[in-house]
Formats: sequence, C-alpha cells, structure tokens
Amino acid sequence: MKRIDLSEVLKEASSTTYNNLVTRATGQAIRGHIENELADGNRDQVAVIDFGAVGCLDFSCADEIVAKLLLNHGEARYFLLLGVSPAQREAIEAVLERHHLAVAAQDRSGSMQVLGPIPEVARKAFGFLVKAGSADESEVIEHLDMNLDTARAALNELCDRHLVQFSSPRYQALTTI
Amino acid sequence: MTRVIEIPTHFDERSFDQFARSYGEPTGEKLLFDAHSTQFASPYGLVGLLVAGQALSEGDHDRPLLTVPTDRDVISYWTRLGFFQFAAEFFELHGKVPKKSSSRISDVLLEITPIREVNDVHEVVGAVQERAATILSHELGLESTATMGFAMALSEACQNIVEHSGTSGWVSAQTYNWRKRLGRKVVVIAVADAGVGFQKSLEATQLGRFGDRWGDKTALESALFHGVSRFRDPGRGQGLQGIRRYLSRWSGKLGVRSGTARLVIVPDWDDDTPLVDGLPPFPGSEISMIIPEQQAE
Repeated sequence: MKRIDLSEVLKEASSTTYNNLVTRATGQAIRGHIENELADGNRDQVAVIDFGAVGCLDFSCADEIVAKLLLNHGEARYFLLLGVSPAQREAIEAVLERHHLAVAAQDRSGSMQVLGPIPEVARKAFGFLVKAGSADESEVIEHLDMNLDTARAALNELCDRHLVQFSSPRYQALTTI
Repeated sequence: MTRVIEIPTHFDERSFDQFARSYGEPTGEKLLFDAHSTQFASPYGLVGLLVAGQALSEGDHDRPLLTVPTDRDVISYWTRLGFFQFAAEFFELHGKVPKKSSSRISDVLLEITPIREVNDVHEVVGAVQERAATILSHELGLESTATMGFAMALSEACQNIVEHSGTSGWVSAQTYNWRKRLGRKVVVIAVADAGVGFQKSLEATQLGRFGDRWGDKTALESALFHGVSRFRDPGRGQGLQGIRRYLSRWSGKLGVRSGTARLVIVPDWDDDTPLVDGLPPFPGSEISMIIPEQQAE
C-alpha cells in the first residue's frame, strides 16, 4: 500500500495557505506530485489517496486529480480514495459520471463503496467482497444468489476496472493495510 | 458632450438591464455614471458597475465620471463593501467618499474582491469558508455539506473568470433578509467580469455546429445545460453544471447574463423569465446566485 496524503501534497504543490483542493491548476500540480510518487512503486500495490485532511474539493480539481489519474493510470494501477467527505464525494461522483469511470472509496466513517457508475450486480459483488475481505466465484454466487454468468460478469467488471484484486482463485477487496 | 448613465435607485439584478440600456455601446464620448440618487445596490449591481468601468478602461475610453450616492448610509455601505477602493481605479469619483472602513459588517459574507489569477480563487474560497459555515448553517438552515458546496460553487464561478474571460473580474457576497420579497433570509453572490463573454469564448468549438443559430443565447444554453467548454478536454465544462446542481438542490436561483442574453434557473419561489434574448448588450459575463433560507418540511 502506498499512502498519499493530499493535504501534504497540497502544501508542496501549491503556495496557498488554505487546505482546499480548488482550481484546475492546483489539481494538475497535485496530480503531477502523485504521479511522481507512484512512478517508482510496485504497480500491484494499492495507491491510497487520502482526502481526510483537506476541505473543499471543486469539480475542476476533482477532474484533474481523480478522473485524470484513473484515465491515465487506472488500467494499470489500483486506486483507493480514503477519508472522502460527503461534499467531496459529490464532486468526485460528478466527474466520474462524466468520464464513465469508477473508483473504490472509503468515507470518513470507514464505509467502503464504489464511486461512479457501475452495474448494480458489480456494486453488490463489491459490497460482498468488502464485507468478506476476499472470496472465490462460488462464494459470490452462493451469498448473492446469482447465477454463474451474472457473478462472472460482475467480478470481471470489478477486475477490469481495478476495483478489486484477483489472485486465482480469490477476489480481494482493496484495503488500506 | 457628456452622456449620463443613470444608476437605478434600486440597483440589483432586476434593474440591471435598465442600467445596461443606459450604458449602451460607448463610442468614445465622455461618460458620467450618475449614482447620486441610488438608495440600494446589491453585490450584483456593484460588481456590474465595476465591470462597466473596467471595460471602458480596457477599451481605452476616457476615464468616466461617477457621482457617488448622496445618501450617507448608502455611501457607508459601498465603502464597507470595498467598492470605492476599486472604483477609483476606473472612475473619476465625484462626491464625498470616506476612507476605507476598517469595520466589518456581519451581513457581508464577502467584500468585493478582484479575481485576477488562480491564487485569488484560493483566497476567496479560504476566506469565505468560515463565515459561510456560520451563516449557511445557523441563519439559512443548510446542512453542513452545503457549506462545502457553496465554496465549490464560488470556486467554479471565479475560475471561469481566470480561465475563460481573457481578463479579470469581481466577486462579492452578502446576506439579506428578504422579508417582503420572500419572507426569508438569503445569500446573494455576484461574480462578474469584463471579458469576452460566453459567445466569444465558445465560438471556436461551437460556431460550426450551430451556424446561424449561434449567439449569446445558444452559448449560455450550451454551457449551462450541455457542459460545453472552449477546451476539447471532455473533463472541462463541469463547473457551471455543478453550480446549477448545487443551487437546484438548495432551491437556489442561478442567473447568467452574457452579451444580450440571460439564462435563469428559476426556483419555485421566484417568477423570473428563464431565458431572455435581445437584451441591451453589456460587456463580459455576470453571474448571480441566490440561496434562500431552508424551510422546514
């Protein structure tokens, strides 16, 4: 796990004394820092982007940080957003919807969800994997009362979008550990 | 020959077109902005007046005159809002103007603030957050998430100036108790610039698509309803749509005027006209956001 605290990155990337993620230029600078930090790391390692200590997040910054990170690296890396507030979530969901992207996120109460548009069956499978920690295909079928094709499609969707990790034969929820 | 431009007695977004008509399309004549009988000006009116002065200054017109209000309370309020400090840059002021007031009035959420660069947006968002939290939650009954949304809306509106106007602009916010008009308290935010306006900004990417139908009205519709931006990056153009969603959620009103058109997202408590074209032309873009006190279900 590679944890990146956005409030620390903001201090490095911007001259502002405030703790808000606003403006596209700020978002671009922060994404640059994140990309540098991730450049040397193991690609299978989950990159945890911590929003917990930052305040406002506007759409432009959400687009530059979250959407563009996923667009540029989401097929090769696992991202988990941490400490997302309800207001930040709104901005993030809006930009994900716009780009048809999805990302795993944990809110400030510790609840883990997928943000962004994904099929309902995939969302259910994600919820089950979060609860169980990991599961194989047959456990997903049994617990969610799905047929094989549906479960497989849901799990494939989650894997393709790097929302869960797969180590044959088990699917594993992303964690901050 | 000096042409007189009347500042309405009650100068806000509802009387703005009257002001714009009087402003007309200056052609180099000496101008006198007459505010001597003005009794009230909202942030929208005052930032609009600065935009007029700024546009003349940037257009190399003669420095216009501005007769300040005669009412002491009005002058005092304009001073506390920081108006004269910036007006002096564009107008030759006539009348007694007090020095900048050091006192801060509780209902001014944000004094008139210039937006020239990205750092100004950070300053505005940072400065307004603490005051907004108190006012929005305690006085307007909004949930705490609304405070962050407010900062986000303010940020996006101000960024539009930096990114699209081609020049600088202004922002100000104020709380009112609209006893007669609405029977509730409101927050009124005004963001305006003297720049190129929506039509010109979007022209390069949209003119070919709309052909003869392209104009201020279609430009506003494209930006507000379809998230169209002058940039080809599909992530662009989300700001105004985000502002629209935020205001809709809190029964707010959004008005955007540019060139000769105005588009308004009208809440159920208001009877404004949603889309007007053929208005008197005015420089740049003017955005008005109004968030009312929330009513118990």
